[in-house]
Amino acid sequence: MNDVRPVKLLIAALGGEGGGVLASWITNAAVAAGHVAQRTSIPGVAQRTGATTYYLEIVPHTANGKKPVLALNPAPGEVDVMLASELLETTRAVQAGSITRARTHLIASTHRVFTVDEKSAMADGRVDPEKMQEVLRKFSKSALLADLAATAREAGSQLNAVMLGALAGSKALPVGDDFFRAAIRAEGKAVAANLRGFEAGYALATGGLKAVETPFVATMPRAENEIEARAVRALPRDAAEIALEGVRRLTDYQNQRYAALYLERLERFAKHKAADAAFMQELARLLAVRMSFEDTIRVAQLKIRKGRLERLRRESGTDAGALIQVSEFMKPGPEEIFSMLPPALARRILAWIERKGWSERSIKMKVSTTGFFGFLRLRLLAGLRWWRPRTLRYEEEKVWVERWLDLTERSLLRNPEAAKAVVASAALIKGYGETMKRGLKNWDLLAKFVIEPFLEGKLPAAHFADAVTQGKIAALKDPEGGKPLGALIESLKTLPRERPIAAE
Amino acid sequence: MAEVSFHSEIKSLSLGNGDTFRGEGILGVTKALLQSGVAYVGGYQGAPVSHLLDVLVQSEDLLADLGVHLETCTNEAAAAAMLGASINYPLRGAVTWKSIVGTNVAADALSNLASAGVIGGALIVVGEDYGEGASVIQERTHAFALKSSLWLLDPRPELPTIVHMVEKGFELSEASNTPVMLELRIRACHVYGSFEAKDNVAAKFSAKHRIPTPAAFEYDRLSHPPATFAQEKHKTEQRLPRAQKFILEHKLNEILGPENGDVGIIVQGGLFNVLNGRLALAGLSDSFGNVKLPTLVLNVTYPLVPEQIAKFCAGKKSILIVEEGNPDFIEQAIGQILRKADLNTKIFGKDVLPSAGEYTPLVVASGLVKFFEANGLKAPTLNGWLAETEAHHKEVASALGNPLPPRPPTFCTGCPERPVFSAMKLLKKEMGPVHVAADIGCHAFGTFAPFSQGNSILGYGMSLASAAAVSGTQKRRPISIMGDGGFWHNGLLSGVAGAVFNKDDSVLIVMNNGYSSATGLQDIPSSAPENDGRGNGLEIESALKSLGVPWVKRQRTYGVVGMMDTLRDALTSDEKGLKVVIADGECQLARQRRVKPAFAKLKGEGKRVERTRFWIDPDVCTGDHSCIRLSGCPSLTIKPNEDPLRPDPVAHVNNDCVGCGLCGEVAHAAQLCPSFAEIKVIENPNFIDRLRHRISSALIALLGGNRPAPMPAPAE
Repeated sequence: MNDVRPVKLLIAALGGEGGGVLASWITNAAVAAGHVAQRTSIPGVAQRTGATTYYLEIVPHTANGKKPVLALNPAPGEVDVMLASELLETTRAVQAGSITRARTHLIASTHRVFTVDEKSAMADGRVDPEKMQEVLRKFSKSALLADLAATAREAGSQLNAVMLGALAGSKALPVGDDFFRAAIRAEGKAVAANLRGFEAGYALATGGLKAVETPFVATMPRAENEIEARAVRALPRDAAEIALEGVRRLTDYQNQRYAALYLERLERFAKHKAADAAFMQELARLLAVRMSFEDTIRVAQLKIRKGRLERLRRESGTDAGALIQVSEFMKPGPEEIFSMLPPALARRILAWIERKGWSERSIKMKVSTTGFFGFLRLRLLAGLRWWRPRTLRYEEEKVWVERWLDLTERSLLRNPEAAKAVVASAALIKGYGETMKRGLKNWDLLAKFVIEPFLEGKLPAAHFADAVTQGKIAALKDPEGGKPLGALIESLKTLPRERPIAAE
Repeated sequence: MAEVSFHSEIKSLSLGNGDTFRGEGILGVTKALLQSGVAYVGGYQGAPVSHLLDVLVQSEDLLADLGVHLETCTNEAAAAAMLGASINYPLRGAVTWKSIVGTNVAADALSNLASAGVIGGALIVVGEDYGEGASVIQERTHAFALKSSLWLLDPRPELPTIVHMVEKGFELSEASNTPVMLELRIRACHVYGSFEAKDNVAAKFSAKHRIPTPAAFEYDRLSHPPATFAQEKHKTEQRLPRAQKFILEHKLNEILGPENGDVGIIVQGGLFNVLNGRLALAGLSDSFGNVKLPTLVLNVTYPLVPEQIAKFCAGKKSILIVEEGNPDFIEQAIGQILRKADLNTKIFGKDVLPSAGEYTPLVVASGLVKFFEANGLKAPTLNGWLAETEAHHKEVASALGNPLPPRPPTFCTGCPERPVFSAMKLLKKEMGPVHVAADIGCHAFGTFAPFSQGNSILGYGMSLASAAAVSGTQKRRPISIMGDGGFWHNGLLSGVAGAVFNKDDSVLIVMNNGYSSATGLQDIPSSAPENDGRGNGLEIESALKSLGVPWVKRQRTYGVVGMMDTLRDALTSDEKGLKVVIADGECQLARQRRVKPAFAKLKGEGKRVERTRFWIDPDVCTGDHSCIRLSGCPSLTIKPNEDPLRPDPVAHVNNDCVGCGLCGEVAHAAQLCPSFAEIKVIENPNFIDRLRHRISSALIALLGGNRPAPMPAPAE
């Protein structure tokens, strides 16, 4: 049979990424090279940031003028070349069968554009990137996986131009390199920048350029003073690393005495046989986070920190010649403001505000940290650190931490696995204002209806660890409502009752 | 002015004999209209056919030269009614819209048009928004062709055939005095290919050469009794046979492959390429469409020609009908044709192929395999491919473990409609839920996460009408949401006039963003005239007031607190009747297209320019993402936390931020977290800027802070 199989190429992009332009460059290059090329796309409403695909079929010129009947849909297992601009969408293409071991040469950018589901999760909703890359390598014939968006940034170009270069460099299409370059020139828009991107992508594919590595953080710091050395001595290595960070955080947050309190609390647990390194690490981490609670003093301190402005300029891509003015959005409510007073007084005022129905009120502020008066206000506030231990908020946090540690310790004696879950439950409390109140409320429910009943032997011990973990997940699942947690608590009531076992 | 600029495409529209046209399918249709000598063109925008009109709107010179009258209609009913010009005059005209929805809106005019019949060729180009990428309910345009006796073309999805069918469509229309519909699926509209162009033809009568006298009074041309009775007869007794004769004589349907065989396939033209691909895999065709099974390609799917069908089926044991969508009109008709012709050919169709959903290669292959098996044919490669594909799916699913999160479309970065939904979400928390009648348009993205609002969608501009009985039976006032596109399309009459007339106690939000944004930024009656488009600045507020709406308030959308106050007021006010909130905020896509180049130009010229954007302090952000749950802006995203104590990702504003201000508004309206900062960047600062900067930096340094920034050198 003198049939000619078309070369099939699929592009997966997100709306606004220039996938259409990329598809047209490839089509034009293929036509210029003397081939028959057809492409189509599914833009629809995807032009507004959704996922979109472009599908091309190219019949090599050996077809001698006969007119091919080309397909408009990619068929699973038949795509020869896949270009994908984002990691999750690439993985989706594997799922659809557009990338297969037998056939597909894959060129994909590994950067992430997170979906709303991933972004809006209470904690960390991101899909595991390692796993996705592993799947891509496993299910493709060849894979060029690199952060092409970063390559584009470094080249001062666009992602689509880099992808075109990588395609040319991969030699996966029967089209000479110069046809691609000519397609960019013929299009006539941002030609110099696009050619720069093209060459960067080309070099990447042909081994002339190294992929941009995402910077890697976290190294074991060295203990620099006595209290830091004490942290290292007291804890297993992995936990010490975190504790060291915690000591520094809390010294900066309050003072060395406060950091010492942190260490004492940790040491109390380190004595326990059941407290392994993983347990201590997580405890050290969450205790440091909870003890450096974000009150107004802390926020002010962070906002006038040295080096912050340089970071801000860098991250916002501001040119050297430009000036920037920074306004901070703050909206302290009665709770934030009056919990800075001594407990007795603060409680009375807050109760009065509650009676008046003013609890939800707050003061909207836009404070300029690049202006003198704005800076001064925050500087004065940040200077109130000495006062902090006298505040209501400090006392409330202390009470909470003690309760949490107490529950953790009691759990550790009964069931080390469950103790880990109890430690982890502290992650429910984060954020400010509303969010924090909701977190506290959820944690209270978890403590009262899950942790305590287990500790008191009212619920079967075998379910302890699992129930606490599930409770935490449930509370995080529905940040606004809290229904899943309620449902979980209800379901616990149906667990088979067992006779209470006295703690050994 | 539409989103896409058709600068180079406009040139292709002027190509003539001997030239090769290259471009996408729907633009090929536009060129074919000009080659067919149309006198007028119109329609209503909507994917996937928006480009047909968009390119013409930008081709004023060409249209003037050919004398083509162009009408951007306010809705599909208006477009269909415009074809009325071809009832009395020998004018060729074409209109376009998105189907099924557009055809629904046009139905009344279409019925009347079809009854009267035409003397000038009338072509309706419908984008069959079906299958992957579709944004509307899944129904078939075919039903309208059947009920109104309109002929339906479904060409093979390649440019030469599409163009040929446009040209033949006009002839068919004139030969049978019947309007013709040309149906193109999404991928066919966007297919890029080429065809040999012909010269454009100027119509005998047109905007340039006007008809000197109106048509004589002829009662029979009116869709009015008693003429309608005769017209109904005329449809079946005259027009149908003439159409069938034309279809046969001009070989509009194609018979491919060997003349004889035990089994054959009848396929809708638009599906031929999918079918051919699978047949090729089975070894029953090749890349050039040389099928080895007798295949009847229906480029005209209504009317069928019974003798053609009967002849094709005669002598065959069985046939497979490849017909997408539901109901199986063609299969039913063929069944009847065979029965009447007393043929025993067995029909396979919706028994081996699914009744609903797009006919993708995988779907067609599964159907073919079943058909082959039932008829003792073997296609091991096809079976093998299906098995491999299934194995692949299973293997990938187990390797991935969890399902991947979906990525529905969402509001653009800085979209003015997003803040309205932020305000509604906050208000819902404050006051409890209300019934939300959603509508068609960008604002329908408010039904997706993180907003997830909307109880029903009843069509374009129909939200308020759909809430009429809800408002009359519910304790709380419902909120209806409508875009300005939907408002002019029919919401003003179906919704507003109706609600005022019936004294409905209801709240309507009209998103006044200035364009028909979802379809590609086309101008609408209220588009600002100075923006270089066809808009003429009709006032939504005046329109509402002139209808006697008692309560109208305008609110800038980005002011979330203000929007909450206005909506709270509308929901709780003692005043009965319709309350309309006009939510003002220009489409950011359009705004950025204008503002970005202007900004770059001024900056390049060394002029002082300011821009704002937002930033999140990663040290202050605790990573609970409640800001994202109130925004969902693409530029408000997450990034890894550099803090080893807090592994959860922090919120992060990327460099796409256009500084719309929503982040700050939400932070204030919702009492979120103090990590948001607004950055005002002053490019080319002037003397006063620099002086102020120097003074505050010095003072801040005295307080122990660091200097805000290295001192920029004064501009030359």
